[in-house]
Amino acid sequence: MRIILIGYGVVGQSLTDIFLQRKIENLRNYGFNPKVVAITDRGGAAINTKGLDLKRIQNIKKREGTVAADSVFGHTQMSGQDIIQSIEAEIMIEATSTNITTGEPGISNIKTAFNSGKHVVTTNKGPLALSFPTLIELAEHNKVLLRFSGTVGGGTPILEFAKKCLEGDRIKEIHGILNGTTNYILTEMAEKKITFEKALEAAQRLGYAETNPAMDIDGLDAAAKVVIIGNWIMNKKFTLKDVDIVGIRDITLKALEIASKKGKRIKLIGSIDGKPTVAPKEIERNDPLCVNGVLNAVTFVSEYAGKETIIGRGAGGIETASAVLRDLLDIKHHLANKILS
Amino acid sequence: MKIIVMKFGGTSIGTGENIRNVANIVRNNSKKGNTVVVVVSALAGVTNQLIHEAEEVKKGKEGRIQEFIKELTEKHLETINNAIENKKLKEETKHSVKNIIEELEKILIGIYYVGELTLKTKDQVLSFGERLAALIVSAALRDVNLESQYFTGKEAGIVTDSKFGEANPLMNFTTHQVIERIKPLLEKNMVPVITGFIAANQDGVVTTLGRGGSDYTATILGVALDVDEVWIWTDVDGIMTSDPKIILDAKTLTGLSYGEAAEMAIFGAKAMHPQALEPAIKKHIPVRIRNVFNPKNPGTLISEGAEVESKEVVKAIAMISDVSMINIRGAGMVGAPGSYAKIFKILGKNNINVMMVSTAVSEANISIIIRRNQLERAMSTLEIALLGSDLSNKITSEDDVCVIAAMGANMKGSSGVASRIFSAVAKKRINIHMIAQGSSELNISFVVKERDGPIAVSAIHEEFNLNK
Repeated sequence: MRIILIGYGVVGQSLTDIFLQRKIENLRNYGFNPKVVAITDRGGAAINTKGLDLKRIQNIKKREGTVAADSVFGHTQMSGQDIIQSIEAEIMIEATSTNITTGEPGISNIKTAFNSGKHVVTTNKGPLALSFPTLIELAEHNKVLLRFSGTVGGGTPILEFAKKCLEGDRIKEIHGILNGTTNYILTEMAEKKITFEKALEAAQRLGYAETNPAMDIDGLDAAAKVVIIGNWIMNKKFTLKDVDIVGIRDITLKALEIASKKGKRIKLIGSIDGKPTVAPKEIERNDPLCVNGVLNAVTFVSEYAGKETIIGRGAGGIETASAVLRDLLDIKHHLANKILS
Repeated sequence: MKIIVMKFGGTSIGTGENIRNVANIVRNNSKKGNTVVVVVSALAGVTNQLIHEAEEVKKGKEGRIQEFIKELTEKHLETINNAIENKKLKEETKHSVKNIIEELEKILIGIYYVGELTLKTKDQVLSFGERLAALIVSAALRDVNLESQYFTGKEAGIVTDSKFGEANPLMNFTTHQVIERIKPLLEKNMVPVITGFIAANQDGVVTTLGRGGSDYTATILGVALDVDEVWIWTDVDGIMTSDPKIILDAKTLTGLSYGEAAEMAIFGAKAMHPQALEPAIKKHIPVRIRNVFNPKNPGTLISEGAEVESKEVVKAIAMISDVSMINIRGAGMVGAPGSYAKIFKILGKNNINVMMVSTAVSEANISIIIRRNQLERAMSTLEIALLGSDLSNKITSEDDVCVIAAMGANMKGSSGVASRIFSAVAKKRINIHMIAQGSSELNISFVVKERDGPIAVSAIHEEFNLNK
């Protein structure tokens, strides 16, 4: 299966690690033989229609900072969209970094892929948060698949789990801790009795938070995931601008102490129960949703099965890459059935 | 006294000088008392240019139209300057060329505004190449004092179905009309010049004949007018025993049967497309391939029963490069009905043409030859569909191979041919990767590494004394 990988950051590099490490198992167990025909990063691209040597590309990336430095297969002039349009492949993986204001270049990359008949796996939340209904419609119209397991829950199969809960049942509400960074900060504040600023600094030191942490602490990342879950699982058509969002900047130690005395904890909760919201809320300490540190948790309230909660690590390069692999295998399976039918 | 349809391809009329040469060939034959019907392609390169420009204009590049029209006009006017001596005739022809190109310009502008290029419109655009060429060639014939008139395929009466881009002739309807419109001219000693490749459906909408091209027009007219021979004028002496670039002393074949000629399609552009040969086969009309730059050479005659006249079992050897071999292995294919069908269906759905197939009766593997530029797509699709299923566990490919094809109608029924071929190859220590022989027994094909190809070809060429 030929793959174009757009964006070669932590997730992309982890994915090529998995391809190299799991080559034999992937082939033997799933008949999956990925051929990465193009990789792009900020510096340009590396292209080989016969399939790039991933070990070589990884070394060049580490040494030179860009895959475009490859003396044989490197290109500095071609844009991601040029490549998506002109290089033959079955799949485009959109792994550029999230832009929550415009969704670009992700949205254009995904549309170009659809237009040229390529299936898409995205780990980029921006395009989905801003135009989920549009992208789903375009995928169906172009008869291609769009997969995005890696956008919610990292390696934890939250979306797949929800789809399972759905079979023969109806999900009424969803509540979740969808952002590991804010959960880490809130946990640190409550347990170590330190201020928001101190906890944020610690998170940044450990690499859990970005230098510009707005996307996490203002609740935008969690809200993007609410959009994805709401659209995909509950079939509600809405985008980021429809979500009421409150971040955690204003959470005080005092508020945490009051909650603690009542046997509760304050968590940043994304909910879809009527109107989609993201806001800090008090929840019972023994609620299965009440996880600590960088963990994520989501509770699905089904009509018959009741509450079901899934807990797991929400982010990380290799975790997200494993979700991409899951999506790729799913697409491979779909295509094989379609070709043979 | 013979009636002959003569088709001249793009290179034969590539320049004004070449067109004068063509005019002389026609005049000489006419002087000998033969009746000649001329079929022409577009000037060399024009057809590709027309398609390319129409595609560009469709994408919204209006600025190109004027530039292209200017270029196309200049090209044809220059050709006229060199092809025609008579001043009045020259001016007349130039005037007509400008009128025709003006019409093309309008169509291109239409494509620009509508932003679409359907197969129907594409056929319309393509027809201009042949129309311009026929006009000029007809004038050049008049310039050497022959009576001539030019026709589009439509005007000559060739009627097809409405499969734009690769239309098929309605032979009886066509015959009726061609006899009505062209035959009277022949009786008046007139040389009609007819556009190749171009025809029209029953509503008079322009169609093109697809893969057979102008050769197809020639054989269709040959059948309709019940001519004695169809001559395909090209830039080589005829069909050769092998590629002269590989075998320096390769020889021109004097005679081939229709069946052999159809097999020779793999020799590429120098041979005839089997579809173009089809009408001639049905009506037993001999087809001759001749060299416009060496008209003394009688060329290669394709006719019925030619195999009986010659004694060689192997007549020609071709090497087909730019191919790749795919090997599919899997115990799951053994005794499983429909497993090969699945493989071909996968390739067919992806528009990949299978050129050659070979499989052992054990059924545990199958080897397939396809065009090299389709290898990546073929491999990817086959892997997606087959790997992980119980059908196959291993798909490999080799892209440094070539196919060698030894061809000759007398192979049929004669024993020991294969053994002679493979011994000759084995003596050169060349390993054979795959073998196939169709039940027609006109052809044995096998696969070797590309670097070994020329050695294998010359070994067989020598073994069967084709240079003698």
